[in-house]
Amino acid sequence: MCDSCGCGDPKVVPFDVHERILAGNDRVARHNREHFRDHSVVAVNLMGSPGAGKTAILEATARALGGTARLGVLAGDLATDNDATRVRAAGILAESITTGSACHLDAEMVHQGLHRLPWRALDYLFIENVGNLVCPAIYDLGQDVNVVALSVTEGEDKPLKYPTMFHKADLVLVTKADLLPHLPAVSIDAIERNLALVMPRPALLVVSAVTGSGIDRWINWLEGIGRPRPALGTAAAGAGRL
Amino acid sequence: MHEFSLVQAMFDQIGTAMRTHDAIAVRRVRVRIGARAGVEPALFRTAYDVYRVGTACAAAPLEIVDASDADELTLDQLELEVP
Repeated sequence: MCDSCGCGDPKVVPFDVHERILAGNDRVARHNREHFRDHSVVAVNLMGSPGAGKTAILEATARALGGTARLGVLAGDLATDNDATRVRAAGILAESITTGSACHLDAEMVHQGLHRLPWRALDYLFIENVGNLVCPAIYDLGQDVNVVALSVTEGEDKPLKYPTMFHKADLVLVTKADLLPHLPAVSIDAIERNLALVMPRPALLVVSAVTGSGIDRWINWLEGIGRPRPALGTAAAGAGRL
Repeated sequence: MHEFSLVQAMFDQIGTAMRTHDAIAVRRVRVRIGARAGVEPALFRTAYDVYRVGTACAAAPLEIVDASDADELTLDQLELEVP
């Protein structure tokens, strides 16, 4: 008997589901996370616009670590194997996840990607998400942290235009800092102020993959994952530039 | 636009609910969407309207409720037609 809409139709029954629409994705993400924990692999979901410098950051990370940590990448793109090829040339184990027309990675795509990568031997697994500041934000992949790359050429107001993405970020890498001398209208302080409005615990690092500036602090941040990170969280009062 | 894949996931949930109740059709679907769920209600509705054609939801209106929890994105309630 339907007693919710009042139609009185005896053949209609209301059923309270109360389940997250992404419950299926969340289950696979939990499964991925358990795998990573069991094998002490730190998983980083690296997001950002197309061209924000995600792949260049991975190349710079490999250069900076110089073989002292085992790195792996699952690179998501709609088409081509270009990013995986680039990071392999930098000495990182990499596989592509080609999404076709999908605008984001989900936990199942990552799970399938893991079957093709010897991830258990890694210290860090970077999941390079599809270049997009909207859709990837809502899919849990099983990662430990979310890192968003935001290049100085994208505009200071991106955090305000795409608040969900930056709200989910544990760290924002402000990339291509070497271009700042050519961009007199771009202010790091303005980016920082805008991030402070949308990130619960604002944290950003200004880096350049070309000159290597700031990469040492990024490596320190990475090495702090899974251990107490007093610099994070307490950084909010000072708007959190590390 | 990821609303289509979300609607696809919701139809999996609806299919499970229908099997649980031996339902033959769905009469109404209610979802709750928060402001920061990363979902545009109008696009979700468009995706639902495309997806439901020829399914057990063909005649089921979609009700979208603003959730007070900003992160919420849930399939809240179904009205199922049973034999």
